[in-house]
Formats: sequence, C-alpha cells, structure tokens
Amino acid sequence: MKKAFKIGIFDEEERFISSIKSLQQKEFKIYDVFTPYPVHEVFHLLKRKSRLPTAAYFFGLFAIIAVLAFLYYTSVINWPIVYGGKPFNSFPSFIVVTIVITIFAVTIASLAAFSARSKLIPGRENTIFDHRATDDKFVIVVNTDILDNSKSEQIATLMKEQGAMEVLDKEFENISA
Amino acid sequence: MYNRKIRGPLVEGNKTFSQISKEILTPMETTPGLWWYIAFGIASIAAIFGFYAIYITVSRGIGTWGVNNSVGWGWEIVNFVWWIGIGHAGTAFSIFLLILRQRWRTSINRAAEAMTVIAVMLAALFPALHMGRVWLAFYIFPYPNTRGPLWVNFNSPLFWDFIAITAYLLISFSFWYLGMLPDFATIRDRTKSKIKKAIYGFFGMGWTGSSHHWIRFESLSFILGGIAAVLVVSVHSIVSTDFAVGIEPGWHTTLFPPYFVVGAIFSGFAMVMTLMVIMRKIYKLTDYVTDNHMDAIARILVFISLIMGTAYSTEVFIAWYSGNEYEMFTFFRNRITGDYTFQFWGMIVCNALIPQLFWFRKVRRSWVGLLVVSLLINLGMWFERFNIVVTSLSKDFLPSNWVSYNPTYIEIGVYAGTLGLFAAGILLFFRYIPLMAISEVKSVANIGNKKDD
Amino acid sequence: MMKKYWKSAEEFQGITAGNDKDSEETSKDQVLDLFRSDFLKNYSTRREFLKVFGFSLSSAALVASCKRPVQKAIPYLIHPPEVTPGKSLYYATSFFDGQEYSGILVKTRDGRPIKIEGNLLSSFNREGTSARVQASVLSLYDDARLKFPTSDRSPASWDIIDEQIIKDLARINSAEGEIVLLTSTVISPSTIKLINEFGARFRNFRWVQYDAVSYSAVLEANLICFGKAVIPDYHFQNAGYVVSLNADFLGTWVSPVHFIQKYVSRRKPDNVENKMLRHIHFESGLSLTGSNADKRIRIKPSEEKSLLSELYNRIAAKTGAEQFTGVTGREELTELADNLLSSKGKSIVVSGTNNVEIQIIVNGINSLLGNYADCIDLNRNLNIAAGIDRRSEELVTDMNAGKVKALFMYNVNPVYDYPDSEKFLSGLKKTELTVNMTGSLNETVGRAKYDCPVNHYLESWDDAGIIPGQLSLSQPCINPLFNTRSFQDSLLIWSGNSTSWHDYLMANWEKEFFPKSNLSVFRNFWDLSLGNGVFSYDIPGSKPALFNKEGLARAMNTLVNAGTDGFEVVFHESVALGNGMHANNPWLMELPDPVSRHCWENVAAVSPADAVKLGIQTGHLIKLADGLILPAFIQPGQAEGTVSVALGYGHTDSGPVANNVGTNVYRFIRIIEGNRVYGFITNKLENTLKQSQLALTQVHHSMEGRPIVRETVLSKYKIDPASGNELHGEYESKHRTLYPEVKYDGFHWGLAIDLNLCVGCNSCVIACQAENNIPVVGREEVKKRRIMHWIKIDRYYSDTPDDPKVYFQPLTCQHCDNAPCENVCPVSATNHSNEGLNQMTYNRCIGTKYCINNCPYKVRRFNWFRYTNNKAFDFNTASDLGKMVLNPDVTVRERGVVEKCSFCVQRIQEKKLQAKLENRTLKDNEIKTACMQACPSGAIIFGNLNDKNSKVSGLFDNPRRYHLLEELHTLPSIAYLTKVWNDEDSKS
Repeated sequence: MKKAFKIGIFDEEERFISSIKSLQQKEFKIYDVFTPYPVHEVFHLLKRKSRLPTAAYFFGLFAIIAVLAFLYYTSVINWPIVYGGKPFNSFPSFIVVTIVITIFAVTIASLAAFSARSKLIPGRENTIFDHRATDDKFVIVVNTDILDNSKSEQIATLMKEQGAMEVLDKEFENISA
Repeated sequence: MYNRKIRGPLVEGNKTFSQISKEILTPMETTPGLWWYIAFGIASIAAIFGFYAIYITVSRGIGTWGVNNSVGWGWEIVNFVWWIGIGHAGTAFSIFLLILRQRWRTSINRAAEAMTVIAVMLAALFPALHMGRVWLAFYIFPYPNTRGPLWVNFNSPLFWDFIAITAYLLISFSFWYLGMLPDFATIRDRTKSKIKKAIYGFFGMGWTGSSHHWIRFESLSFILGGIAAVLVVSVHSIVSTDFAVGIEPGWHTTLFPPYFVVGAIFSGFAMVMTLMVIMRKIYKLTDYVTDNHMDAIARILVFISLIMGTAYSTEVFIAWYSGNEYEMFTFFRNRITGDYTFQFWGMIVCNALIPQLFWFRKVRRSWVGLLVVSLLINLGMWFERFNIVVTSLSKDFLPSNWVSYNPTYIEIGVYAGTLGLFAAGILLFFRYIPLMAISEVKSVANIGNKKDD
Repeated sequence: MMKKYWKSAEEFQGITAGNDKDSEETSKDQVLDLFRSDFLKNYSTRREFLKVFGFSLSSAALVASCKRPVQKAIPYLIHPPEVTPGKSLYYATSFFDGQEYSGILVKTRDGRPIKIEGNLLSSFNREGTSARVQASVLSLYDDARLKFPTSDRSPASWDIIDEQIIKDLARINSAEGEIVLLTSTVISPSTIKLINEFGARFRNFRWVQYDAVSYSAVLEANLICFGKAVIPDYHFQNAGYVVSLNADFLGTWVSPVHFIQKYVSRRKPDNVENKMLRHIHFESGLSLTGSNADKRIRIKPSEEKSLLSELYNRIAAKTGAEQFTGVTGREELTELADNLLSSKGKSIVVSGTNNVEIQIIVNGINSLLGNYADCIDLNRNLNIAAGIDRRSEELVTDMNAGKVKALFMYNVNPVYDYPDSEKFLSGLKKTELTVNMTGSLNETVGRAKYDCPVNHYLESWDDAGIIPGQLSLSQPCINPLFNTRSFQDSLLIWSGNSTSWHDYLMANWEKEFFPKSNLSVFRNFWDLSLGNGVFSYDIPGSKPALFNKEGLARAMNTLVNAGTDGFEVVFHESVALGNGMHANNPWLMELPDPVSRHCWENVAAVSPADAVKLGIQTGHLIKLADGLILPAFIQPGQAEGTVSVALGYGHTDSGPVANNVGTNVYRFIRIIEGNRVYGFITNKLENTLKQSQLALTQVHHSMEGRPIVRETVLSKYKIDPASGNELHGEYESKHRTLYPEVKYDGFHWGLAIDLNLCVGCNSCVIACQAENNIPVVGREEVKKRRIMHWIKIDRYYSDTPDDPKVYFQPLTCQHCDNAPCENVCPVSATNHSNEGLNQMTYNRCIGTKYCINNCPYKVRRFNWFRYTNNKAFDFNTASDLGKMVLNPDVTVRERGVVEKCSFCVQRIQEKKLQAKLENRTLKDNEIKTACMQACPSGAIIFGNLNDKNSKVSGLFDNPRRYHLLEELHTLPSIAYLTKVWNDEDSKS
C-alpha cells in the first residue's frame, strides 16, 4: 500500500536542526532525515547508534584465535619441519602473520556487516525522498499516514516557521531503507 | 580545535554546497582538454613498452635481467619497495589525519588514496615478476593440497610480505571506495545522462544520505581507519624485514622497520605533493587545496627529512660502532666510497639536504619549488632502496663472490611501464572519479569562514 | 670396500659369441638408427638395437625435465642378464688419450656410461682422477664424433675402404715405397706388438710417435746420460726437498694426478716419521705448481740454463765434483745448494723445459745429489710420452721430399698442433696413400684420402703398460654408438689378419703376461685382470744406471748468456684443456683455470709491473707478434718481461664448442736444435687499446684481511697446532644460542676439507658436474657471473702482486645447521633434513632468489634460462645424444629454480639402501661424494659426524679445523683445515 509523507527541505544546517528539535518537542515522530554530509547533532536527536565497533571487536578476537591455532597446527602438528635451526613452534615469527591476517579478516567482516545492515549493495536502488539531499539540501521526512490532516498541516507550518525552503507531500510504495 | 587566525579558512571563497558539488565535479562533467589526451598517450606508450618487457621476462626467463648469482635482487625489488613506499601516502594521509581529527585533509585524501591504490597494485607486480616460475606463484598460498602435508614457511619475510600487501591493498581500496559512496550518489542524483545515472547508481549502492547510512558510514570509517593505521605501520615494517631478517651486511639491522615506515610516508607525501601541485594548476582548485594545505604538507616533509637524515647517520654510525668488518666495508667502502658512491650521496642530498629548503616560506609557497623538491625526494628514495638492495649484495662476505650489477633494458622497461600505468591511472581518476570527497568538503566548508565566528 | 666388478656383455656370452664375427659386425651398426645422420645408410635390425639400448632413451627422457614424466619406455625384448634397470654397473677399464693415463671404473646405467671413477686397485692413480678424465665420458656422446668412414670426404663402407687400402699397400710395398705410421704415444704392449707385426709385413716401414706437447728433451737427455730414452717416475713421497723449474707437475706436466698423490703425502704437517716436504719453484708464469710451492722465484725462460749450471757448479763445489765454466752471481743459489745437499739423496730437481742441455744439467745435479737411488726412478719409468721431436721433423721433411708413399695417422692432429702445419699439409698432399684414424672431428680430419674413425675408448678393447710391470686392461662399456672401428682392428684387417682385436689381445696376454701370474688357468687370470682392470708383476730392479759425463760437459760449456731484452712469450698447457685435443668438451671449456679463474678463452698473462709500464688493463687486446693478438690478463706473480699463453685453444674445425674460441699458438712454436721451443722472444708488446670482456669467474683476489683462508707455517705449527686458527677458539667460547640447537640422532653428515692437501686441480668441479647434471651455460652467461658449478675453487692472493702467495679454497654449500637460506624461503622449498642436510626441493621452488641473497657463501645457483632442450644453450643438454650422459638419479633442473650442492644425496641414499638390504650399519667412508671421490690428494673427506670414530669426526677434532664465516653462527657442516706452509729449510 501507499505511504504518505511530509518532506521538509532546508538549505541550511542550523535551520534544519532547529526544525527537527521543534518537531520533536511537539512529539512528532520523524521518519528519517537526509543530509549531504554527516551531521552529528542529528544522530543525538534521533538517537541513532551503530553496533559495528562491537561486532568488529569480536571479529578480531575470533580471527586471532583462529590464526594462531592454524599456525600451530600446520607447523607443529601437521608438518613439522626445521628451518634454519628454529624450533617448530617459532612463535615470534608467527606474531606478524597473526596481526596481518587478523586485520584482513576484520576488514572483510566489517565491510560485509556494514553493507548488510545498511542495505548498501552494488546495483541496489533505495527510495530517494528528494534527490537534492545528496547535493546541498537537508531533508526531514515525516510519515503522515497515521496522522489526520490537521496534524500534518501543523508539521508543514512548523517546518516553514523554522525556515524550510519548501515542504512537499509525497507518496511512496514499498519503501526500501 | 581549528584556529582560523593562524591557518586561514579550509575552503576559501564562501562557497554554497551546490557550488562545491558543481566545481568539484566539473572535471568529470566536461570533456578534458587536449593536454589530457597527450598525457594519456605518452603514458600508454610507456605502459606498452612495459608490457613488452614483462612478456620477454616471463617467456624467456629472469636471465634477461642483469641480476646474477651474487646479486639475486636488482631493480625489480628496488622498484617494488619504492612503489610500496609511495603507496603509503594515501592511507597514511587519510588515517592519521582522520584519527588526529585534522579536517584539512578532506580535500586531499581522495587523490592520495587513489594514488595509494594504484601504486600498491603496481608494487605487487614486481615480486610476482621476479619469481623464476611465476606460473607457480600460487604455491605461496597456505592451502591444503594433495601433495600430502605441505604448507608454506610462516617464518619467511616474503610470506609476511605477501599477506601484508594483499591486506593493505584490500583495506586501502575499501577505505577509498567507502569514501566515494556519497559522491557517487551525488553524481547519480545530479546528472542528466541516463548512462551515467545507471553506472554511478550501480556503484553508489543505493546511497541516500539517510541518518542510518551516515552513522554506520562514520563508525565503519573509524574502524577501518583504526586497523589500517596499524597496517600502514606494519606493512612497511614487514617489507623492511625482507632485509632486516637477512644476514647480509647492511641488511641485518634493527633500525629498518621505523626507518622504512618513515621513509615510505616521506616518499608518499612527496608524491601527494607532486600530484596536488599538478591538480591545482590544471583544475584551478586552489580554493579547495589552498596554499595552506601545501604549506602543511611541506612542513611535514621537512620534519620527516630530518628523521631520515638521522636514520642514515645512525646506520653509518652503528656500522662503525659495531666494529663488524663486513658492515664497515659495506658502508664505508661500498657506499660512502667505492662503486656505488653516486647512489649513496644522491640519497643523502635528495632526502636529507634538499628538503631543508622548506624552512623557507618562499619555497613552501611557490608551486615550482614544491614540485621540484617533491620530485627530488622521490628520486632520492629510489636511490635509498637501490643502496639497500644492491650494494649489500654486490660485495658481501666472501670477496670471491663479489660482482657488480647493471640493469638491462628489460628491467628498465618494466619500471618505465609501471610509471606509465601510474600516470594513466591517475589521469583516468581525474576524469571519472570526484577529485575530492565532496561530502567531507561540504562538512568543513564553513569552518574558518566569516559566518563561523 | 671392494666393489664387485662386472665384465662386458661380450665376455659374458663367452667364447662362442666372442668369435661370432657377424654378430659383432652388426652390433657395430646397431645403434646407428638412434642418431640418424643424413649421410647415414643404416642397415641394422631394430630388435638388436632394442636389446642393447632399451632403456637409454627412456632414461634420457626421464631425466630431461623435472616436470615431464617418462615419455617412452621401451621394454627389453631379451633381457641382458647383467643389466638391471635403475642399478649401476661398474666396469674396470683404463683411460689413455695419448697424453694422460688413469686406471678407472666406469659407472654405467641402463647401458650408458655416465660417470668415471678412479680405480682403487690401480696403484698409479688410485681413486684420483683429473678433470679431463672425469670429462672424457661426455666426449663419448659428442656430436662432433666421426660417425662413419669416408673416402675422399664422402661416406663409404668399411669393406670398400679396406679393399682399396689393402690394394694400395700391396702396390706401394712392391715398389718399396716407404709406409709410415704416425701415432700419438702408444703405451699398449699388445698394440705395440701389433704395430711391429704390421710393419714387418712391409719392406720399408717407419713408425713415428708424435706428441702435441713434447717431452722429447727429457727422453733424449736420459738417453745421453743413462742410455735409456725414458721419462723417469718421480717419487715425491721419498723427497724432503723439491726444486722445480717450469715444471707444472701438479697441473699439466707428465702425469699430474700421479704426482699430486705422491706430493701431498709429504705435505702433511702432522706426519711424524716423514718431515713435511719443502718445495722451491722457479717459473715465469704463475702455474698451479708454483701456487703450491713454499717459495716461488720468478725467472725468465732464458735465465733457466745459466741458473741451473750455476746451481750445478755450487753443488759440485761442495761435493768436490768437477766444475765447469759458467756464469755466477746468484747468491741465493748457495743457500739452495746447501739445502739440496743437506737432504742429499732425498731431493728432486726437475725441469719442464723441452731443452736437451737443460735436461742434461738437471740430470747432472740429480746424480750429484744421488737422487736416482730412491727419488727418481729410471727403471719403473712412466711411459707417458714417447715422441721424439727429431723423428717427426724428419718425417715431415721426407713427406715433402716425396719419399713417403703411405701415411697412416692415428689419434694425432698435426694440422692443428704441428708447429709448421703448412709444411705438414704440403707433405700430406705429396703422399699417395693417406689414412687418418681419429675418433672425433678435428683439423686433420678430411685432409687424408681415407678417414677411418676409431672407437671412443669406452667402446674399445685395449691394454696399457703405464709403468713397467704395471699393466691395465680396457674393455668396452657400451657398444659402439657409430659406425666406427678400433685402430687395432683396422691394422689387423689391413695386414690380412682375420682374428679380431679382442682375440688378439687375449692371445697376447696369454702369451706375455699370463706366465707372470700365479694362476694356473688363463681364463681365471683373464677374468680376474679384467675384473680388477689392472695386473702387476715384479720386474727385476736393476741398479741405477751410471751417469755419463760427456753430455753434461757439452751442455755446460755451451752456455747462452742469461737474460734477454724484450719480452719472452711462454706457451703452457692449461689445466682444463691440456694440449687441446678435448677442446670440444663443454665441461672442460667452461672449467675455470685454477689460477687465473677465467674460461672460454686463452689470454696473454702479463706481469703487473709490465701492465703499469705499458698501460695495459685486463681485457685490452695486445699484439704479441704478427697474427697473434690476445686479450691481456694482468697475472700477479708473472715474471716481469714475460708473457704466458695457454696452448690448446683456437680450433677452427673441432666442433661447435671448440671452434673459434681463443687463439691457436702452436704455430708460433719454433724448432731449435731438433727440439720444439714452447715460446718466442718479441721485442715489444703493442697495446691495440681495443677492449674485450673476459669470461672471469672471480674478479676480486684479496681476502680483504678477512679470516677466510687461515694459514700458518710449519715452525709455528710445531709449537702450537692451532696456530693461525686462534679465532676458532674465540668464536667457540662465544658460542651462544637463543633457540636450543637441533639434535640429529642417527646420521649427521659432514665434510672436511684440508686446505693443505688441496692443490686446486679442479677435478672435483668436473666430477660434481658429471654426477649432478650441472648444465654448461656458455661464455656470455659466464661473463654475467652465472656459472653453475656447485663446487668451485676460490683462489686468493696475499702479499704483493709481483710476488703473491696463492691460496685455494674449495667452496660449496656449507649445509649450515642454522642455514640463513632455509629461513627465508616462502614456500619452504629449502629446509633441513633430519640428517643435517640442507635440502633443496626443485619441484617446490618458485625462484624468489631470496635464499641466494641470504646465503653468506653465495653458493646457490639459479637457472636463469632453460638450459635443457634449448638450442641457445646447445652444449650437451640440447640433443638426445648429449643427454645420454645425464645421471638418472639426479633431477635435471627447470628454468627458474634454485639449485646447489646436495652432498650427493643420491649417493647417500643408495648406500643407505644397500646397507639396509645387507642388514648392516654403514661403514665409514662407504659413502663418497663425487668431489671426495675424484680428489687426487684426498683433501675432501665426507662422513657421519655422529660417529665419533669416523675419519671426518677426527678431522673435526683437529686443532687446525675451522668453519668459514663461523662468526655468523651458521654452524656449517663443512670444516676447513688451516693451510700450513713449510718455512723450514732442510738444514735447520
């Protein structure tokens, strides 16, 4: 089914921020905002969080153990060979390998996690509420389906007051991201 | 954090955001001038020569090079280390400055990273080529196989090298690409042409700039930045172990890891500077890459060159202080004096002395000065690698094995080829990828400008 | 350990097959279709061929590449009982090529001789062999060998040729025309008998023996002084004091291997009953012998005679013998005379100069010193060279005078090495019937009417009497590869004798030598001597012949005044090529000269002083005479005013390897008073200033003060055996390790090299090359410093360039227990075996060359190109014929892989297996590496270090023992023993 949205478009960061604030004071639920560059205040206001760092930490932990185990298995248990009079388990020279392969693993894993969670895959087309958002405009999107007209009008006026250059009504089907 | 009084604005001439997008994307949206085609032609010719040389090398054998039974490594390894060094700039630039919250990096890191990716790929070419049986290169993967228990030698610096470079290439590339996501989206949304929309849309991966994207984008860049920072240090340390683990006089020294890392960043920054000077000149991006930026790089370079000078003198001092006759011979009778005097003093002059010109504001501010010095630094770094690789091998422990080494035109051809490929790659980058991280530039556009204070 | 020697296939079938003429005939042609040559009409049966040669091709294919599997394996149709595929057969035989003799064992695999080893039972050389003997197996597979008889340079069948020759002979003989047989020195008693019988059939016959490098003067001098024209045997093992002049008896003179063994037996400092021999050497160019001498004095050739006569007078003065008028003024000779006298009867004075008067004076000195008693042996003399210069002179003159009607040549190449080859050629044209019998292509081939190619010595029956009472047999180890026939068979046929040479030989032995044995049945005697390869009997020892003074008086009274202005050019044999008859052998051609360390060329060695004077640099082309322009080589130790040039190079028609390499200087030899003078005097050297790059294998000659070769002198050694080796103790005391050292249970292989015994003769290099299929890379690659030899003999100089001390150091993989190379190989292609071997896995190697760089000894070699099946490197590994010499036990390395000394691991495994089968432990010295086996002086000892009683462990405990670069703590498995010079004059 179709979903209706109020879309406020700002051309200045300050006004955009203040309008978010005022909407939130009026306890309007903001569906999402779109900005040309990361605006950290937004993250606080909309309580956006990322668990990527935690994930990466565990990827790393796992990788280190796996690599060390692999090295020990190959060079001590499976195929012990003397190189230049070194013992089979010449740990110091394993450190390097461990570090690098761990880094390698973490990178791949985090990239995968990132692209999975934020649905960013080559060729994917996510819904664009207003294409100027990637250029120079700051966009606030509010879902107005569950609201009656007066409420949604109120949103529009609020945004206007805060200095939105325009406020649009748009309807989208099966939204992605 | 940022004091405009001292440094001046990061982006000059009070730009609006769309202006920024527009100006940065001009090189992509307009067809390039004649100079581009000429440059690209020259680069391609060099590249073709390189491919011929590679063909000869692989089809006939390493014997077509000048290396021999005492000097097993020649130009190919020199160039390998040289390219890897250059390949350190981008990541070092982005990562360190990112972590240090140096926001002036924004307008430079894209180009630097592009350079990194190309340079590292070229560097990786050489270890492959210098193998006697490159078609069996896959032996270096530790894969379970039917030859019974058979694994690689995890003690070998060459194996460390191999994994380090692979990891480094992957990270640099992903970091670079990650930074380009929003810009591709920008292009996708601005362009009129269907094809462009399709292509950049594909690579844009459906970026919308939503807060969800941005938050994860930022944390991922910090994760990658964090681990890549370790890698930047470790990769060249590992490359240095190729020599430091060796027993040859002039190789067997604990100084090498830091010495190599610093050297790498040195050559990398120099190459960035060369590139920036050209880019500014051609594309009139002086508002984005301001004189202050160049000034900052120049300051870093002069600082690093002091470190290099110290490293060189430490090396020589230790050779003497150790009282080891082989070390002494290598340094005092085969580098400072002897067959390879030219390369040694070339290194000292280009790396330790000439950069000192950057103490003068005049030099830091004149594009000619910047260009010349940065080019000389890269030459000097090549000499440094030649010193390390060749001079140690040519006259080591047993005088009966002493030889001299001269490259053949095949070796030179391979090198020329990589230079050509590098130039070609950069030119394509100019044309098809945003020269700067637009979104990041926007984020700093106002810093240090009127309305800010 | 006594090997069980096999006898030839022919022997095996016994007399029945032995006499079967037809089968013999066919078997000669059997192999023809193996190497199809265009001219060749072959009419052999495939089956016969397979029977003999089943496996050779497949083995060649098997070893031809480390990637490719067997291509074609041809099973035996009828399995020869003595041949087991994959198992080596050893045939005892003997090597004699007209200039050098050795009793040898031939290792054959699947019907192919692949390696020459010394025959322990041959007291003449024991296991020692020279580089040339080692390399002779390759000349068997030389494509330049003559493959079929020709008449007027066009192929012809033996029958036709025989028919014609017999007819011509009859005609010439009836006209009393002179028939001449010109051969190289023949030492085979049976052949001599045969030749005499052959000659007896003609009214007018002459047999002339001719040596490219002549010992005529020695023979004549001994004839004059003692009434017998022989070369005496020199017993260095009995001598305490040796003075040699221009006699390179350790390198090229008479019989080096034989002499080296006797010489080094008196060079052991710890030898208690016999004091170490002191050696004084006078010469112009720096020879191998000069390099080993305790004291070396540089003289011009022209000074030699006056020097000797003065020495004679000084000794005579002391002994009260008659003195002659002579020049004086060399004070150092008094001391020399005293020293010689104080070891009276226990000294040797020897000169290598081909001048009768000089040789007479030398004889005079020796008889004054009474050395003929037990140091110089005229009874058990050496039958090495029998050529008298005058004879060949007369022959050539007669030929030109048209007196000679028929000339048969055997194993000679006068067109190349006769001083006046033009004259010889013109004489040849004047001769009606000319027949040339030689094995391989050379300048003389095609000059005679008939070319009747002879077998390679590994294909023929023969015997040899090198020393009276010491006989040896030669037997074929392979059927003739080509349509060739032994010289003796030809003579038999041409003298209308139907018996085969083999039967003739047997008959002769039965008649001549069987009675001297203590066996009752001839068959047993024959089998035994054939199995042993040698047979010796006592000859009555006669008293040393009396010295005849007249000759001496004449010699002493006709003195030339010492010294000349201008440069004296001296010709000498090179250690690698000898007189040049083996120049087409790539192994020898690429063997560096032990002293100058260059190969693929002969150079003009000039003294450093002259070089400065004339502004000559190594590589400058200098003009010695008209038509003689050579690249200069600045040779430390070269006498000022002299130039040395090696003979044996500059072939024009001896095969692809030999042709146009270097310059032929035989034609500059002059004949004075009936003796060939090896050299000439030129008043000036002209520097053309043109540059040419020499193929040098070592360019830096100083040790830079590093403790690489450690040396001491006898007097110090007696006080402290560890003298000169103090460093070793110091490093041992500092011996620490981070990791625990690897323990080797079972075997821990080690090798000890006694630098005092090694004379630097280079035979180990070729032995290694033959054993391990080491490719020849050619001149250009050598210039690029890419020579492949796994073992090389480094040569260092110390002291001044004018008068250097010379050191030789065999260098090969040190098999370090802490090997720097193993650690750095990314694919673990090189690692350590549990027997302490540093092993190399060619299949795994990807050629990063990291190990080469990280080897402090730089003993690893890289296959820069594909050296097998590559026309660009067509030495012996590019043709099926050449590849037959490959050792099936050793992989042929592919392009792009690293290789190095493996301690002959294939030999280790073979012996271990054998011991296991015989259910016993390995004996010490049972395993011999190729280098150890070939070494004439026994300087190299291989063995198990864990066995405390083994010879090698003993050497590892020797106070003289040290390791190369031991300060690096690589813990090599190779130990060196310090060099000890003898500084003690016999007086003291």
